[in-house]
Amino acid sequence: MAIPALPPPAIMAPEPGPTVSAALTDANVRVTSAFSGAQIVLYGAVFDPETRPSDVVVIVRGPDQPIRIARKVRVAGLWVNSRPVVFEGAPGFYMAASSRPLTEIASFSTLRRLGAGIDHLPMNAPEEERIETRYGVRDVVVSRLGGDYLEWRRAVIRLKEKASLYATDHEGVRFVDRGLFRAEIDLPTSAPIGEYQTEIILFQDGEPVSRRARTITVEKAGLERWLFLFANEQPWLYGIVSVLIALTSGWLASVVFRRR
Amino acid sequence: MDIYLPIAEVSVNAGVLVLLGAVVGFISGLFGIGGGFLMTPILLWMGIPPVVAVASEANHVAASSASSVISYSRKRQVDFRMGGVMAGGGAVGALLGVEVFRWLRLLGQADLVVSLSYLIFLGLIGGLMLVESVASVLRQRRGQPPAKRRDRRPVWLYGLPFKVRFPRSRLYISVIPPLALGVFVGILSAIMGVGGGFILVPAMVYILRMPAGVVVGTSLFQIIITTSLASILQAGRNQSVDIVLATLLLVGGVLGAQFGARASSRFRAEELRALLGLIVLIMGLQMGLVLFINPEDPFILVGSGK
Repeated sequence: MAIPALPPPAIMAPEPGPTVSAALTDANVRVTSAFSGAQIVLYGAVFDPETRPSDVVVIVRGPDQPIRIARKVRVAGLWVNSRPVVFEGAPGFYMAASSRPLTEIASFSTLRRLGAGIDHLPMNAPEEERIETRYGVRDVVVSRLGGDYLEWRRAVIRLKEKASLYATDHEGVRFVDRGLFRAEIDLPTSAPIGEYQTEIILFQDGEPVSRRARTITVEKAGLERWLFLFANEQPWLYGIVSVLIALTSGWLASVVFRRR
Repeated sequence: MDIYLPIAEVSVNAGVLVLLGAVVGFISGLFGIGGGFLMTPILLWMGIPPVVAVASEANHVAASSASSVISYSRKRQVDFRMGGVMAGGGAVGALLGVEVFRWLRLLGQADLVVSLSYLIFLGLIGGLMLVESVASVLRQRRGQPPAKRRDRRPVWLYGLPFKVRFPRSRLYISVIPPLALGVFVGILSAIMGVGGGFILVPAMVYILRMPAGVVVGTSLFQIIITTSLASILQAGRNQSVDIVLATLLLVGGVLGAQFGARASSRFRAEELRALLGLIVLIMGLQMGLVLFINPEDPFILVGSGK
């Protein structure tokens, strides 16, 4: 009689590893006429039986928006724009919040692999200069990877940060109690419409050990949505209606004032 | 009260917009112009994207002009035939202008062309108006007779073919100059977000030699047609007319225009022209300034290229 084999490891209760969990106060942002930006609070918890030192990184990535950036150049004493460079695949909104500076949490290569932090933002920049015809315009530089590429890239980030569309906060994730943390996501008025991928990563010893994903949806609602759809789906009718409103109100004002 | 604009996608104060519309409307009624050259730069400074500012402002100009043209027409101060000919040219110009603007935006040069157009046209016309009207005000103060208007009409105006009678303007001239003027102003209205009254009025006086009485009314009539068309084209081609923005502006605008039109009778024509010249000149220089001062940041985001 054979000695009964040890139960296969799968049946054994797995060693409960550290995990992270998170929830958003508001996963659906409605852009109405009263919209003036939104603040979303992210709450989360770290479950770790061994209470090893943990770091949490929250990455929020808005919908992709091609970025067109030009450099001011002086031509004949006048400041004019150079030909714009198009960066593709850059998000319209990006926020990286962490409990400590990212460079202290993990190595460069780990962060690069996860795309965590503005420095690791994958802005699809084709390897070489590519000049295309776009919308009938010739000689549009889609991306330029020259010696000054980094300078252009830094400029994109600087301008986006100035518009509150990109943000890095080394203290954005705060532990409020043992294992319990919170982070705030500030959406400015100019935040693009669409889906925002939120990723919560738990780091221990410089390695990502647990990840959670949440989605925030920013959408136009109510009258805003109706007008936006009207303007985009029936642009000619929309134009005629807006002109009729203008002419009618002009005519009305002159009639009303004549009576007085 | 802050309000989020559906097309401009920025949040602005609704009360400020209505008030601004009223102030610009007042000036528009006072001088018999559309007021776009004042409003468009203000909208840009408020952070409205240039494309939306230019397109929505065309709508606002149409409203203020409609508000004042009716009273001019009651006083028989509108030459509909002349206005119609110029509007025909204006339609072609607006079509061209919307396409040119679209192309400039894709090249990232829309801002530059807008600033340059303001600097050149407003600077030139404002300066000329100011010099001319100050000189005539000074002559009056000294009790000198007004400068003799050179009544000799330019030969080229009469040498051209396709002559048409314009009874209300008491003119019998070729349709080519008013048509060309219309095309030119139509292009400007699409690029600069203006009605073009500041160019039309002096051009009608000095180039077409129309009688002063019908100039303002006729210019307003032509502006309504051109800007209405520009507005529809901008909405249709570029989806850039913000109806909420335009409506807020025109509520103040049409009321302001009525008060302005009443106030205008209290001033002398020369003084009004001098004041208008000054405002036009200041706006032109202010808009052109950006071309000369060193930029804060050497880089600039030039819109999503929608």
